[in-house]
Amino acid sequence: MPSLLEGTVITLELSALAITAALILGMVIALAALSGRKAMTLPAGAFVQSMRNTPLLVQLYLVYFGLGMIGLGLSAFLSGLIALTAQNSAYIAEIYRGGLQSVGRTQIEAGKALGMRRREIFELIELPQAFMRVVPPLCNQFIQIIKDTSILSAIAVGELMHQGKMLSERTAATYEIFIMVGLFYLVITSIVTFATRSFERRFAIAH
Amino acid sequence: MPIDNATVAPMVAFRGVSKWFGKAQVLKDISLSVAPSEVVVVIGPSGSGKTTLLRCVNWLEEYETGEITVAGEMVGYRIAANGERVRRSEREIATARAKIGFVFQSFNLFPHMTVLRNVAVGPIRVNKMPREMAETVARDLIARVGLADKADAYPTSLSGGQQQRVAIARALAMQPKLMLFDEVTSALDPELVDEVLGVMQQLARDGMTMIVVTHEMQFARDVADRIIFMDQGAIVEEGDPAKLLANPHSERLRAFMRRHIHGWARNLPRDPMTVGKNS
Amino acid sequence: MLPEILISNSWLLLQGVERTLELSIATVLFSSAIGLLAALLRTFGWWAFRVVVDFYVYVVRGVPLLLLLFFMYYGLPYSGIDLAPIPGGILVMSVYFGAFMSEVFRAAIEALPRAQWDAARSLGMRLPLILVIVVVPQAVRLSAPAFINTCILLIKSTSLVSIIGLSELTMVGRQIVERTFAPFQILLGVALIYFLICYSLSRLGRYAEKRTRYAH
Repeated sequence: MPSLLEGTVITLELSALAITAALILGMVIALAALSGRKAMTLPAGAFVQSMRNTPLLVQLYLVYFGLGMIGLGLSAFLSGLIALTAQNSAYIAEIYRGGLQSVGRTQIEAGKALGMRRREIFELIELPQAFMRVVPPLCNQFIQIIKDTSILSAIAVGELMHQGKMLSERTAATYEIFIMVGLFYLVITSIVTFATRSFERRFAIAH
Repeated sequence: MPIDNATVAPMVAFRGVSKWFGKAQVLKDISLSVAPSEVVVVIGPSGSGKTTLLRCVNWLEEYETGEITVAGEMVGYRIAANGERVRRSEREIATARAKIGFVFQSFNLFPHMTVLRNVAVGPIRVNKMPREMAETVARDLIARVGLADKADAYPTSLSGGQQQRVAIARALAMQPKLMLFDEVTSALDPELVDEVLGVMQQLARDGMTMIVVTHEMQFARDVADRIIFMDQGAIVEEGDPAKLLANPHSERLRAFMRRHIHGWARNLPRDPMTVGKNS
Repeated sequence: MLPEILISNSWLLLQGVERTLELSIATVLFSSAIGLLAALLRTFGWWAFRVVVDFYVYVVRGVPLLLLLFFMYYGLPYSGIDLAPIPGGILVMSVYFGAFMSEVFRAAIEALPRAQWDAARSLGMRLPLILVIVVVPQAVRLSAPAFINTCILLIKSTSLVSIIGLSELTMVGRQIVERTFAPFQILLGVALIYFLICYSLSRLGRYAEKRTRYAH
């Protein structure tokens, strides 16, 4: 039991770090992709496509074992973090891009007609609306990140799933342990969903 | 043209029908009789309840008090053995709807089916007609509305007017006793309106009982046997088209007509045989 | 151009690909069937179905696939259920992705305009007929982009069964790495193969997206 709690802490740490990093990296990539300059859109596009079309597990092995071969041996925790961030930043970049592009052209034209400059239009019209549209898919992505931390158990990072597996190998109570692990995950993801929905509601009212 | 209103049983009868949406009363004690082969046109401002009235006839909307009968059968409810009014089963409602043709403002063709299948699917699946027979009937109807060469096309490749004519053919394929038209030309570009009205006019001549909700005043004047003016859920005026439109009694109808001059201004003498002219 | 090491192991890699594709296709078929059934039951069935399906989706979305795989692999033998690992893996993945598919189909069914229902009803059609003739054909077309995206996620997720010892592309890759100590080239090769499969599907998905927009 206590080991499961330890595992949960690691899971939460990993998730928080990966979410933060992916949100930032995702923004960088999205801006590059939307910049219009080939030198930026092509690498950004290539990054997004490679991350989205390859499994996290393979990326994880590449970072952990592959970099080790070159001599850049990273800890399991750090490798996991890098892989999680890389993979999810690609999805988050697409979410940002979708949010910005979904603000209707007519809205932008309305701003121009009122005499706003491009930057004002972006700040006052596009950004707030894109922000609202981006929250639900981001919530799903956060949950995906939390669930993906379980894959790190493959390289023995001590998060919740790994602890659960170790525990079940030591005792015979496999069902109970995995059900507990499942409940832990369910509680975490439910809290995140709830928090995001409340956040969404509060911001919607403020608008 | 209808036979003698007084002696023949009505095709559609409303008796004291009312309907509420929450607190608002959208139909106020409507009583109305439509004789077989009669063409009744319903006009009125938006929100007057005319579409709701039409949709109640085939139970696409439910009414609360009063009764509507079609060919003697009550719509939506029946009287149970103990004398109480009870809701009809889904099967009874479906059977009743099969005998009533409904044409929508937004055509509502099935986009994943060809024109032929759109028209034939009802007879085949609901009326259990054999496939070859249904397809023959369908082709015949498609030709009657002037679209014989489009039988294998998909709705997305047709103009609005063409789609609406297919919609009419689809409704007719079920061999209905009654046809209901819900503002069927309101969503069309002006130059496509005539082809649809032409089909409707021919239907009227062939003796179909029709209730038509429309803004097309010229059509009302030319084709209707009777015009009904509705406002705020009630029937305000009804009567002979020419007389009513030339001399409206109520101020509300006068105001309505002033605002709807556009249909009225298209008063060039019209050649009724315009079926297929614009396709 | 291709590293020697990939070429010499190409036969094994191809077998891995074959296994991955088998697992993926089987899972797509079963999960779609489950998903369609769940979506229909939930939308048109008795209220109890709605509760059950919503709960099913909630649990699956809140829990990692790996947990379900471990549950099946480590837990089931204790109950005396004798399930071979490959069918077991397919079963678990089908149940997992069945929930995602049900959300995909549910969205498509709900996206169908009310007017289509009105038209079908006014022809005298009843619910079963309307579902078969009007709703499902259109929902399938509407759901194509989201469906393909889910398939891509599914193919990527098959890599997880390597953790419980099933042989597929990732497992084969790991085995070769353990033998040859050349993780970088092999794993990049494996990643490239996944990329080729998934990227082609994503192009198909984009094509489907364009076509559904045109048709409506």
